[in-house]
Amino acid sequence: MAENNEHHDGHDGGHHVNYFAIYVALIVLFLISVAGPEIGERTGWRWLTLITAFGIAIVKARLVINNFMHLKWEKRIMKWLLTTSLILMALFVAGVSPDVLNHEGTNWDNTAAKEATARGLSDEVEPGEVITEVATAEAGTFSAEASFNTVCATCHGVAGDGTGPAGAALDPAPANFTDPAFWDERDRDRITTVIRDGAVAVGGSPLMAPWGPLYNAAQLEEMTDYVMSFRPGG
Amino acid sequence: MAHAKPLATLRSATGIPTGRLAVWWVLASEVVIFGGLLGSYLMHRIGHPEWAEAAAHTQTWIGALNTFVLLTSSFTAVLAHQAAEKGNGKEAAKLLGFTILGAITFLIVKSFEWANEISHGYTITANTFWSFYYTAAGLHALHVIAGAIIMGVVAVDAYRGRELHRVELIGIYWHFVDVVWIFLFPLLYIAK
Repeated sequence: MAENNEHHDGHDGGHHVNYFAIYVALIVLFLISVAGPEIGERTGWRWLTLITAFGIAIVKARLVINNFMHLKWEKRIMKWLLTTSLILMALFVAGVSPDVLNHEGTNWDNTAAKEATARGLSDEVEPGEVITEVATAEAGTFSAEASFNTVCATCHGVAGDGTGPAGAALDPAPANFTDPAFWDERDRDRITTVIRDGAVAVGGSPLMAPWGPLYNAAQLEEMTDYVMSFRPGG
Repeated sequence: MAHAKPLATLRSATGIPTGRLAVWWVLASEVVIFGGLLGSYLMHRIGHPEWAEAAAHTQTWIGALNTFVLLTSSFTAVLAHQAAEKGNGKEAAKLLGFTILGAITFLIVKSFEWANEISHGYTITANTFWSFYYTAAGLHALHVIAGAIIMGVVAVDAYRGRELHRVELIGIYWHFVDVVWIFLFPLLYIAK
Protein backbone atom coordinates (compact mmCIF):
# COMPACT_ATOMS: atom_id res chain seq x y z
CA MET A 1 0.00 0.00 0.00
CA ALA A 2 2.97 2.29 0.46
CA GLU A 3 2.98 3.33 -3.16
CA ASN A 4 -0.66 4.23 -2.95
CA ASN A 5 -0.18 6.75 -0.22
CA GLU A 6 1.71 9.19 -2.39
CA HIS A 7 -1.43 10.11 -4.20
CA HIS A 8 -2.98 11.43 -1.03
CA ASP A 9 -0.53 14.29 -0.96
CA GLY A 10 -2.49 17.48 -0.94
CA HIS A 11 -5.22 15.65 -2.74
CA ASP A 12 -7.96 13.28 -1.78
CA GLY A 13 -7.95 13.27 1.97
CA GLY A 14 -7.99 17.04 2.01
CA HIS A 15 -11.19 18.13 0.32
CA HIS A 16 -14.39 18.00 2.23
CA VAL A 17 -17.15 17.68 -0.27
CA ASN A 18 -20.64 17.04 0.98
CA TYR A 19 -21.37 14.33 -1.57
CA PHE A 20 -24.95 13.96 -0.48
CA ALA A 21 -25.61 17.68 -1.03
CA ILE A 22 -24.11 17.40 -4.53
CA TYR A 23 -26.29 14.37 -5.22
CA VAL A 24 -29.42 16.20 -4.08
CA ALA A 25 -28.48 19.17 -6.27
CA LEU A 26 -28.04 16.82 -9.24
CA ILE A 27 -31.46 15.25 -8.68
CA VAL A 28 -33.15 18.65 -8.32
CA LEU A 29 -31.49 19.86 -11.55
CA PHE A 30 -32.53 16.63 -13.23
CA LEU A 31 -36.16 17.15 -12.22
CA ILE A 32 -36.06 20.72 -13.55
CA SER A 33 -34.56 19.46 -16.83
CA VAL A 34 -37.52 17.11 -17.24
CA ALA A 35 -40.17 19.61 -16.09
CA GLY A 36 -38.79 22.56 -18.07
CA PRO A 37 -39.47 21.15 -21.54
CA GLU A 38 -42.96 20.04 -20.42
CA ILE A 39 -43.73 23.65 -19.52
CA GLY A 40 -41.91 24.85 -22.64
CA GLU A 41 -44.07 22.63 -24.81
CA ARG A 42 -47.33 23.79 -23.29
CA THR A 43 -46.44 27.47 -23.40
CA GLY A 44 -44.62 27.33 -26.73
CA TRP A 45 -41.48 28.75 -25.14
CA ARG A 46 -38.91 26.77 -27.08
CA TRP A 47 -36.03 28.69 -25.47
CA LEU A 48 -37.15 27.29 -22.11
CA THR A 49 -36.80 23.75 -23.47
CA LEU A 50 -33.33 24.44 -24.82
CA ILE A 51 -32.07 26.22 -21.71
CA THR A 52 -33.43 23.63 -19.32
CA ALA A 53 -32.24 20.75 -21.48
CA PHE A 54 -28.72 21.83 -22.40
CA GLY A 55 -27.97 24.56 -19.85
CA ILE A 56 -28.77 22.20 -17.01
CA ALA A 57 -26.80 19.37 -18.64
CA ILE A 58 -23.71 21.58 -18.56
CA VAL A 59 -24.29 22.55 -14.90
CA LYS A 60 -24.84 18.89 -13.95
CA ALA A 61 -21.72 17.78 -15.84
CA ARG A 62 -19.67 20.45 -14.06
CA LEU A 63 -20.95 19.33 -10.66
CA VAL A 64 -20.02 15.72 -11.39
CA ILE A 65 -16.64 16.52 -12.95
CA ASN A 66 -15.58 18.93 -10.19
CA ASN A 67 -16.92 17.16 -7.13
CA PHE A 68 -17.20 13.47 -7.98
CA MET A 69 -14.23 13.20 -10.34
CA HIS A 70 -12.36 15.76 -8.21
CA LEU A 71 -11.02 17.57 -11.25
CA LYS A 72 -11.22 20.75 -9.17
CA TRP A 73 -8.35 19.43 -7.05
CA GLU A 74 -6.46 17.74 -9.87
CA LYS A 75 -3.09 18.96 -11.15
CA ARG A 76 -3.33 21.68 -13.77
CA ILE A 77 -1.81 19.54 -16.52
CA MET A 78 -4.86 17.25 -16.36
CA LYS A 79 -7.18 20.17 -17.00
CA TRP A 80 -5.05 21.16 -19.98
CA LEU A 81 -5.12 17.62 -21.32
CA LEU A 82 -8.91 17.52 -21.20
CA THR A 83 -9.21 21.04 -22.58
CA THR A 84 -7.04 19.97 -25.52
CA SER A 85 -9.47 17.14 -26.24
CA LEU A 86 -12.40 19.55 -26.10
CA ILE A 87 -10.62 21.97 -28.45
CA LEU A 88 -9.87 19.16 -30.93
CA MET A 89 -13.52 18.14 -30.82
CA ALA A 90 -14.62 21.74 -31.36
CA LEU A 91 -12.23 22.02 -34.33
CA PHE A 92 -13.73 18.91 -35.87
CA VAL A 93 -17.27 20.19 -35.43
CA ALA A 94 -16.38 23.66 -36.71
CA GLY A 95 -14.59 22.15 -39.71
CA VAL A 96 -17.40 19.95 -40.94
CA SER A 97 -20.36 22.05 -39.83
CA PRO A 98 -20.60 24.10 -43.05
CA ASP A 99 -21.00 20.87 -45.03
CA VAL A 100 -23.49 19.29 -42.67
CA LEU A 101 -25.60 22.29 -41.73
CA ASN A 102 -25.97 23.52 -45.31
CA HIS A 103 -27.37 21.38 -48.06
CA GLU A 104 -25.87 23.41 -50.85
CA GLY A 105 -22.97 25.74 -51.48
CA THR A 106 -21.38 27.71 -54.29
CA ASN A 107 -20.17 24.70 -56.21
CA TRP A 108 -21.97 21.80 -54.61
CA ASP A 109 -25.39 20.46 -53.95
CA ASN A 110 -26.20 17.76 -51.40
CA THR A 111 -29.18 16.29 -53.20
CA ALA A 112 -29.40 13.26 -50.89
CA ALA A 113 -29.80 15.49 -47.83
CA LYS A 114 -32.31 17.71 -49.62
CA GLU A 115 -34.34 14.70 -50.71
CA ALA A 116 -34.25 13.23 -47.21
CA THR A 117 -35.47 16.52 -45.75
CA ALA A 118 -38.20 16.96 -48.35
CA ARG A 119 -39.33 13.37 -47.95
CA GLY A 120 -39.34 13.58 -44.17
CA LEU A 121 -41.25 16.85 -44.03
CA SER A 122 -43.81 15.89 -46.67
CA ASP A 123 -44.91 12.80 -44.75
CA GLU A 124 -48.36 13.55 -43.44
CA VAL A 125 -48.49 10.30 -41.54
CA GLU A 126 -46.58 9.42 -38.40
CA PRO A 127 -43.01 8.26 -39.03
CA GLY A 128 -43.74 4.94 -37.31
CA GLU A 129 -46.48 4.25 -39.80
CA VAL A 130 -44.25 5.16 -42.69
CA ILE A 131 -41.76 2.55 -41.67
CA THR A 132 -44.42 -0.14 -41.25
CA GLU A 133 -45.97 0.92 -44.49
CA VAL A 134 -42.75 0.56 -46.41
CA ALA A 135 -42.10 -2.78 -44.76
CA THR A 136 -45.51 -4.26 -45.40
CA ALA A 137 -46.94 -2.02 -48.08
CA GLU A 138 -50.08 -3.34 -49.70
CA ALA A 139 -49.61 -4.16 -53.35
CA GLY A 140 -51.99 -1.40 -54.37
CA THR A 141 -49.84 1.49 -53.17
CA PHE A 142 -46.46 0.09 -54.14
CA SER A 143 -44.59 1.48 -57.13
CA ALA A 144 -41.29 -0.11 -58.09
CA GLU A 145 -40.30 3.01 -59.97
CA ALA A 146 -40.97 5.28 -56.99
CA SER A 147 -39.13 2.93 -54.67
CA PHE A 148 -36.20 2.70 -57.09
CA ASN A 149 -36.03 6.48 -57.32
CA THR A 150 -36.02 6.81 -53.53
CA VAL A 151 -33.90 3.87 -52.46
CA CYS A 152 -31.65 2.95 -55.39
CA ALA A 153 -31.29 6.12 -57.46
CA THR A 154 -29.18 7.83 -54.79
CA CYS A 155 -26.29 5.71 -56.06
CA HIS A 156 -27.48 4.06 -59.27
CA GLY A 157 -29.12 7.19 -60.69
CA VAL A 158 -32.73 7.65 -61.76
CA ALA A 159 -31.74 6.42 -65.24
CA GLY A 160 -30.06 3.33 -63.76
CA ASP A 161 -26.74 4.32 -65.28
CA GLY A 162 -24.79 4.39 -62.00
CA THR A 163 -24.55 8.18 -61.81
CA GLY A 164 -26.55 8.86 -58.63
CA PRO A 165 -25.32 11.78 -56.50
CA ALA A 166 -24.12 9.58 -53.63
CA GLY A 167 -22.55 7.07 -56.01
CA ALA A 168 -19.80 9.35 -57.29
CA ALA A 169 -17.72 8.83 -54.17
CA LEU A 170 -18.07 5.05 -54.08
CA ASP A 171 -15.36 2.56 -54.95
CA PRO A 172 -16.23 0.33 -56.70
CA ALA A 173 -18.61 2.61 -58.57
CA PRO A 174 -22.32 1.68 -58.51
CA ALA A 175 -23.41 -0.71 -61.24
CA ASN A 176 -24.52 0.77 -64.55
CA PHE A 177 -27.64 -1.16 -65.57
CA THR A 178 -27.65 0.41 -69.03
CA ASP A 179 -24.24 -1.08 -69.87
CA PRO A 180 -24.62 -4.24 -72.02
CA ALA A 181 -21.41 -5.66 -70.50
CA PHE A 182 -23.05 -5.56 -67.07
CA TRP A 183 -25.64 -8.07 -68.25
CA ASP A 184 -23.11 -10.51 -69.75
CA GLU A 185 -22.87 -12.55 -66.60
CA ARG A 186 -26.00 -11.56 -64.70
CA ASP A 187 -29.44 -13.08 -64.75
CA ARG A 188 -32.74 -12.30 -63.11
CA ASP A 189 -32.12 -14.51 -60.08
CA ARG A 190 -28.87 -12.76 -59.34
CA ILE A 191 -30.54 -9.32 -59.45
CA THR A 192 -33.20 -10.52 -57.01
CA THR A 193 -30.57 -12.00 -54.71
CA VAL A 194 -28.48 -8.83 -54.67
CA ILE A 195 -31.48 -6.56 -53.99
CA ARG A 196 -32.59 -8.83 -51.16
CA ASP A 197 -29.27 -9.90 -49.59
CA GLY A 198 -26.80 -7.29 -50.83
CA ALA A 199 -23.92 -7.75 -53.26
CA VAL A 200 -21.89 -9.50 -50.57
CA ALA A 201 -24.19 -12.50 -51.08
CA VAL A 202 -22.72 -13.00 -54.55
CA GLY A 203 -19.17 -12.01 -53.66
CA GLY A 204 -19.60 -8.36 -54.58
CA SER A 205 -19.03 -5.07 -52.79
CA PRO A 206 -20.56 -4.52 -49.31
CA LEU A 207 -21.47 -1.01 -50.47
CA MET A 208 -24.53 -2.52 -52.17
CA ALA A 209 -26.53 -3.09 -49.00
CA PRO A 210 -29.26 -5.70 -48.54
CA TRP A 211 -32.70 -4.15 -49.01
CA GLY A 212 -34.72 -7.32 -48.36
CA PRO A 213 -36.53 -5.99 -45.27
CA LEU A 214 -38.07 -3.18 -47.34
CA TYR A 215 -39.96 -5.47 -49.71
CA ASN A 216 -42.28 -8.44 -49.58
CA ALA A 217 -41.88 -11.24 -52.14
CA ALA A 218 -44.16 -9.66 -54.76
CA GLN A 219 -42.54 -6.25 -54.40
CA LEU A 220 -39.10 -7.83 -54.70
CA GLU A 221 -40.20 -9.28 -58.04
CA GLU A 222 -41.39 -5.85 -59.15
CA MET A 223 -38.11 -4.27 -58.12
CA THR A 224 -36.23 -6.93 -60.09
CA ASP A 225 -38.44 -6.26 -63.11
CA TYR A 226 -37.74 -2.57 -62.84
CA VAL A 227 -33.97 -3.06 -62.69
CA MET A 228 -34.20 -5.53 -65.61
CA SER A 229 -36.03 -2.84 -67.60
CA PHE A 230 -32.79 -0.85 -67.84
CA ARG A 231 -31.18 -3.72 -69.73
CA PRO A 232 -30.37 -2.54 -73.27
CA GLY A 233 -32.53 -4.33 -75.78
CA GLY A 234 -35.00 -5.59 -73.24
CA MET B 1 8.88 -6.96 -2.14
CA ALA B 2 8.94 -10.45 -3.58
CA HIS B 3 6.86 -9.28 -6.49
CA ALA B 4 8.02 -5.78 -7.22
CA LYS B 5 5.74 -3.54 -9.20
CA PRO B 6 6.86 -2.07 -12.51
CA LEU B 7 8.78 1.13 -12.01
CA ALA B 8 6.19 3.15 -13.92
CA THR B 9 3.57 2.49 -11.25
CA LEU B 10 5.85 3.78 -8.51
CA ARG B 11 7.01 7.11 -9.85
CA SER B 12 5.27 10.04 -11.37
CA ALA B 13 6.78 12.93 -13.28
CA THR B 14 3.51 14.85 -13.28
CA GLY B 15 2.88 14.41 -9.58
CA ILE B 16 -0.22 12.47 -10.44
CA PRO B 17 -0.28 8.76 -9.56
CA THR B 18 0.26 6.68 -12.70
CA GLY B 19 -3.08 4.88 -12.50
CA ARG B 20 -5.06 8.08 -12.23
CA LEU B 21 -3.01 9.67 -15.01
CA ALA B 22 -3.86 6.69 -17.22
CA VAL B 23 -7.58 6.97 -16.48
CA TRP B 24 -7.52 10.66 -17.38
CA TRP B 25 -5.71 9.82 -20.62
CA VAL B 26 -8.40 7.30 -21.48
CA LEU B 27 -11.07 9.88 -20.73
CA ALA B 28 -9.31 12.52 -22.82
CA SER B 29 -9.59 10.19 -25.81
CA GLU B 30 -13.18 9.33 -24.87
CA VAL B 31 -14.02 13.03 -24.94
CA VAL B 32 -13.04 13.10 -28.61
CA ILE B 33 -14.90 9.86 -29.41
CA PHE B 34 -18.17 10.84 -27.76
CA GLY B 35 -17.70 14.52 -28.56
CA GLY B 36 -17.27 13.79 -32.25
CA LEU B 37 -20.28 11.50 -32.30
CA LEU B 38 -22.56 13.86 -30.38
CA GLY B 39 -21.27 16.87 -32.33
CA SER B 40 -22.13 15.11 -35.59
CA TYR B 41 -25.56 14.22 -34.23
CA LEU B 42 -26.21 17.80 -33.18
CA MET B 43 -25.20 19.19 -36.59
CA HIS B 44 -27.39 16.70 -38.44
CA ARG B 45 -30.26 17.36 -36.07
CA ILE B 46 -30.07 21.08 -36.85
CA GLY B 47 -29.55 20.48 -40.58
CA HIS B 48 -32.46 18.07 -40.84
CA PRO B 49 -35.69 19.55 -39.47
CA GLU B 50 -37.53 16.31 -40.32
CA TRP B 51 -35.66 14.53 -37.53
CA ALA B 52 -37.92 16.24 -35.02
CA GLU B 53 -40.67 13.81 -35.99
CA ALA B 54 -38.49 10.77 -35.39
CA ALA B 55 -37.11 12.23 -32.16
CA ALA B 56 -40.65 12.69 -30.86
CA HIS B 57 -40.89 8.91 -30.63
CA THR B 58 -38.21 8.38 -27.99
CA GLN B 59 -39.69 7.67 -24.59
CA THR B 60 -38.75 10.53 -22.27
CA TRP B 61 -39.79 8.85 -19.03
CA ILE B 62 -37.61 5.81 -19.74
CA GLY B 63 -34.63 8.09 -20.47
CA ALA B 64 -35.46 10.00 -17.27
CA LEU B 65 -35.56 6.81 -15.22
CA ASN B 66 -32.15 5.80 -16.53
CA THR B 67 -30.78 9.28 -15.81
CA PHE B 68 -31.90 8.92 -12.22
CA VAL B 69 -30.34 5.44 -12.01
CA LEU B 70 -26.97 6.64 -13.35
CA LEU B 71 -26.87 9.76 -11.15
CA THR B 72 -27.54 7.58 -8.12
CA SER B 73 -24.89 5.05 -9.15
CA SER B 74 -22.39 7.88 -9.49
CA PHE B 75 -23.24 8.92 -5.94
CA THR B 76 -22.60 5.40 -4.59
CA ALA B 77 -19.35 5.27 -6.61
CA VAL B 78 -18.05 8.44 -4.97
CA LEU B 79 -19.10 7.13 -1.54
CA ALA B 80 -17.11 3.97 -2.32
CA HIS B 81 -14.11 6.18 -3.04
CA GLN B 82 -14.63 7.96 0.28
CA ALA B 83 -14.76 4.61 2.10
CA ALA B 84 -11.59 3.46 0.32
CA GLU B 85 -9.84 6.68 1.39
CA LYS B 86 -10.60 5.72 4.97
CA GLY B 87 -9.16 2.27 4.34
CA ASN B 88 -12.56 0.59 4.70
CA GLY B 89 -12.33 -1.92 1.85
CA LYS B 90 -15.46 -3.87 2.81
CA GLU B 91 -17.61 -0.75 2.81
CA ALA B 92 -16.07 0.34 -0.52
CA ALA B 93 -16.83 -3.09 -2.01
CA LYS B 94 -20.43 -2.90 -0.80
CA LEU B 95 -20.90 0.57 -2.31
CA LEU B 96 -19.31 -0.55 -5.58
CA GLY B 97 -21.82 -3.41 -5.49
CA PHE B 98 -24.65 -0.86 -5.38
CA THR B 99 -23.05 0.94 -8.32
CA ILE B 100 -22.91 -2.33 -10.29
CA LEU B 101 -26.57 -2.83 -9.41
CA GLY B 102 -27.23 0.59 -10.93
CA ALA B 103 -25.38 -0.42 -14.09
CA ILE B 104 -27.43 -3.62 -14.37
CA THR B 105 -30.69 -1.73 -13.79
CA PHE B 106 -29.69 0.76 -16.47
CA LEU B 107 -29.00 -2.05 -18.96
CA ILE B 108 -32.25 -3.89 -18.19
CA VAL B 109 -34.30 -0.71 -18.65
CA LYS B 110 -32.41 -0.02 -21.89
CA SER B 111 -33.02 -3.51 -23.28
CA PHE B 112 -36.77 -3.23 -22.66
CA GLU B 113 -36.75 0.22 -24.25
CA TRP B 114 -34.88 -0.97 -27.35
CA ALA B 115 -36.93 -4.16 -27.70
CA ASN B 116 -40.07 -2.03 -27.68
CA GLU B 117 -38.71 0.42 -30.24
CA ILE B 118 -37.38 -2.27 -32.56
CA SER B 119 -40.69 -4.12 -32.45
CA HIS B 120 -42.38 -0.91 -33.63
CA GLY B 121 -40.09 -0.72 -36.66
CA TYR B 122 -37.68 1.88 -35.26
CA THR B 123 -34.51 -0.04 -36.10
CA ILE B 124 -30.96 1.20 -36.63
CA THR B 125 -31.60 1.32 -40.40
CA ALA B 126 -35.02 3.04 -40.21
CA ASN B 127 -33.48 6.46 -40.86
CA THR B 128 -30.42 8.46 -39.90
CA PHE B 129 -31.93 9.70 -36.65
CA TRP B 130 -32.40 6.14 -35.42
CA SER B 131 -28.93 5.23 -36.66
CA PHE B 132 -27.48 7.94 -34.44
CA TYR B 133 -29.80 6.99 -31.61
CA TYR B 134 -28.65 3.36 -31.51
CA THR B 135 -24.99 4.17 -32.22
CA ALA B 136 -24.66 6.82 -29.50
CA ALA B 137 -26.70 5.01 -26.85
CA GLY B 138 -25.12 1.68 -27.86
CA LEU B 139 -21.57 2.98 -27.54
CA HIS B 140 -22.55 4.40 -24.16
CA ALA B 141 -24.11 1.08 -23.11
CA LEU B 142 -20.87 -0.73 -24.02
CA HIS B 143 -19.09 1.63 -21.62
CA VAL B 144 -21.64 0.79 -18.94
CA ILE B 145 -21.01 -2.94 -19.44
CA ALA B 146 -17.22 -2.48 -19.37
CA GLY B 147 -17.47 -0.31 -16.25
CA ALA B 148 -19.65 -2.85 -14.45
CA ILE B 149 -17.19 -5.68 -15.17
CA ILE B 150 -14.16 -3.67 -14.04
CA MET B 151 -16.02 -2.53 -10.93
CA GLY B 152 -16.69 -6.18 -10.10
CA VAL B 153 -12.96 -6.95 -10.25
CA VAL B 154 -12.06 -3.86 -8.21
CA ALA B 155 -14.77 -4.63 -5.63
CA VAL B 156 -13.48 -8.17 -5.07
CA ASP B 157 -9.97 -6.79 -4.43
CA ALA B 158 -11.28 -3.98 -2.26
CA TYR B 159 -13.26 -6.44 -0.13
CA ARG B 160 -9.96 -8.17 0.67
CA GLY B 161 -8.37 -4.80 1.42
CA ARG B 162 -6.21 -4.84 -1.70
CA GLU B 163 -5.55 -2.14 -4.31
CA LEU B 164 -7.90 0.30 -2.64
CA HIS B 165 -6.68 3.17 -4.83
CA ARG B 166 -8.38 1.49 -7.77
CA VAL B 167 -11.77 2.32 -6.25
CA GLU B 168 -11.10 5.96 -7.08
CA LEU B 169 -9.86 5.10 -10.59
CA ILE B 170 -12.92 3.12 -11.63
CA GLY B 171 -15.03 5.83 -9.98
CA ILE B 172 -13.54 8.54 -12.22
CA TYR B 173 -14.33 6.40 -15.27
CA TRP B 174 -17.85 5.74 -14.01
CA HIS B 175 -18.56 9.44 -13.43
CA PHE B 176 -17.47 10.07 -17.01
CA VAL B 177 -19.98 7.48 -18.25
CA ASP B 178 -22.55 9.36 -16.16
CA VAL B 179 -21.50 12.70 -17.70
CA VAL B 180 -21.89 11.30 -21.23
CA TRP B 181 -25.43 10.22 -20.37
CA ILE B 182 -26.13 13.66 -18.86
CA PHE B 183 -25.64 15.00 -22.42
CA LEU B 184 -27.27 12.08 -24.24
CA PHE B 185 -30.47 12.49 -22.22
CA PRO B 186 -31.36 16.01 -23.47
CA LEU B 187 -30.00 15.27 -26.96
CA LEU B 188 -32.01 12.11 -27.56
CA TYR B 189 -35.00 12.45 -25.26
CA ILE B 190 -35.75 16.03 -24.28
CA ALA B 191 -35.05 18.35 -27.21
CA LYS B 192 -37.92 17.41 -29.50
